[in-house]
Amino acid sequence: MRRIFISRGHIIGYAAFALAILVVPLFIDDPYLLNKLARYLIFGILAAALALSWGYTGILNLGQAVSFGLGSYCMAMTLKLHTIPIQTGAAGLPDFMVWNNVKSLPWFWEPFHSTAFAVVAGVAFPVVVALLLGWFVFRARVTGVYVSIITLAMLVVVNLVIVDQQRFTGGFNGLTDLADLKLFGIDFDPYSSATYYLIALSLLATLMIGELVVRSKTGLIMQAIRDDETRVRYFGYDVARYQIFAFCVSAGLSGFAGMLYAMVMAFASPTFLSVQISLSIVIWCAVGGRESLIGSALGAILVTGIQGGLSETPAFLNTWMLIMGALFVAVVLFLPKGLISIVQLGMARLAGKKISALTEDEAPLPRGHKLGIG
Amino acid sequence: MTDLANQIITGLSIASILLLVSLGLAIIYGVMGVINLAHGDFLMLGAYAVWLMESALGLGFLPCLVMVFFIVGAIGWLVERTLIRHLYGRPLDTILATWGIGIILQQAIRLSAGAQLRYVKMPDYLVNPLHLLGLDISAYRLLIFSVTIVLVAVTYILIFHTSFGIRLRAVMQNAEIARCFGINNARIYSLTFAYGAGLAGLAGALVSPLKSVSPDMGTNYVVDAFLVVVSGGVQSLFGTVASAGIIGELSGGFAYFWNDTLARALLFFLVVVLIRFRPQGIFAMPLRRG
Repeated sequence: MRRIFISRGHIIGYAAFALAILVVPLFIDDPYLLNKLARYLIFGILAAALALSWGYTGILNLGQAVSFGLGSYCMAMTLKLHTIPIQTGAAGLPDFMVWNNVKSLPWFWEPFHSTAFAVVAGVAFPVVVALLLGWFVFRARVTGVYVSIITLAMLVVVNLVIVDQQRFTGGFNGLTDLADLKLFGIDFDPYSSATYYLIALSLLATLMIGELVVRSKTGLIMQAIRDDETRVRYFGYDVARYQIFAFCVSAGLSGFAGMLYAMVMAFASPTFLSVQISLSIVIWCAVGGRESLIGSALGAILVTGIQGGLSETPAFLNTWMLIMGALFVAVVLFLPKGLISIVQLGMARLAGKKISALTEDEAPLPRGHKLGIG
Repeated sequence: MTDLANQIITGLSIASILLLVSLGLAIIYGVMGVINLAHGDFLMLGAYAVWLMESALGLGFLPCLVMVFFIVGAIGWLVERTLIRHLYGRPLDTILATWGIGIILQQAIRLSAGAQLRYVKMPDYLVNPLHLLGLDISAYRLLIFSVTIVLVAVTYILIFHTSFGIRLRAVMQNAEIARCFGINNARIYSLTFAYGAGLAGLAGALVSPLKSVSPDMGTNYVVDAFLVVVSGGVQSLFGTVASAGIIGELSGGFAYFWNDTLARALLFFLVVVLIRFRPQGIFAMPLRRG
């Protein structure tokens, strides 16, 4: 058994973070604010999931919102079927289906009467989609920027299909007026502290799963693939298998985050699968530190927190996006390892070690153009 | 029979717009290894430039086209000089940086020109359809088609029959050796980027009378262009042309039987299946390494 090395700084950092997010509800009695904080934590899960595939394996998934959105729709479908009065119309159909002249519940809606099925599907469905795409893409040894644009294309296509299939998905409006999730006798009201704790614990669990993965042998190979895929292949590893694994774990976690998000927002809509969300996830990761799970999660909480604080006025929202774009470009240019690298640098200084904030291997290389163009 | 002919012409018209949009993307990727996610936003800039010149300055549509090419090209040149050139050798980071630039451009337009839809008027002499070979063909689509052919020809000549093209191909094949022979790589890169951006702007200008102009109009076009680039293989101009043709005809055909959205989903699926078996694209020989 390989010893799992965790530095003291890491443990302190995680403990402080866990404590911070768990005691927050004790000091807040504004349910609206609690709901907002819960949303930020969900974004933390998403960012950590992207860090797993991007920061650790080098797969820049620009379509992360696909997994997120599919998860949220799975949850929303079951919650929609549990609304009281259960349904409108004679056959007992969700309201939008009645409006769209759907006569009976489509077959793929049927299993969602069971909450357990929905919870499993919310993770399994995104994983299966990721598995299929991953198999096609990574087995063909397509990597790098190609994966990014293929995932981005998939995001746009899936979004269009969901909007287009209004009869089954609620189209542009999505699934609205959802019931609360009731599980193990607990009513997860979106504004309750029960929901907040569920989400906080999910975030912590995500970070733990992520740390376990990246510190395992598999995780080390993932990082090796990020640094030099060809070399790993020459060592005899099945590179594609590890890439697919990272891609799927990331998708599963995002799907789970999507389910939580549908609960907290009490609706699911195509905006959950928008390019905007996908872009935001990448920005959070980049700002926080793509090569650190907790860094990415903190990046998400920080950025969305500031955004939430500042953009109460809609007029500011557009300016905010402008600032985000500029911040994003600046981070990519000057701080490729994100804000967490400053923290790590400070901690290393305290411990008397010398580590560069910028990685040694990220200095602009002379253009060796390994693109197979020659 | 006329049904089929009309269908083919619709497909060709889709294909020519696709080619127009993907040409710049493919050239920038082929030469520099940079996927320019701001491509769609350059396209949007082109459309807005036409709208502005037409509505504020009262310029005619065709003079606008020429101006737009140079305006957006200049913006592209500026972006390359200030940002992109610091990121060579970090392909994933160039994607991010260009994405960031895209947001900045989009928001800048949204803040200055407003988020509402704008409309560019189609020039009067191009509104009426022409009668060719017993078919009614939209004159405007014919214009797009011919501009596309001219641009592909110009690009071909530029790459294969000018001294700039020789240097460009040298840099494509081996940037280091090219530099040893005294080629100014930085200059080639910035001019290529400017040319690609200019093409995007021109594409935006040409599609602007067909659909409404909005700050986020670029996204949809650029996603289709990705599919063209991925399936065509980026090294060859011919690959881009052929795959734009195939994808255009297929999406026209699928849309005839189902609808635009399902046609796109099916196309995406086909492209993903295709790269499993031919990752280098249909028409390119060497293996692709992102």
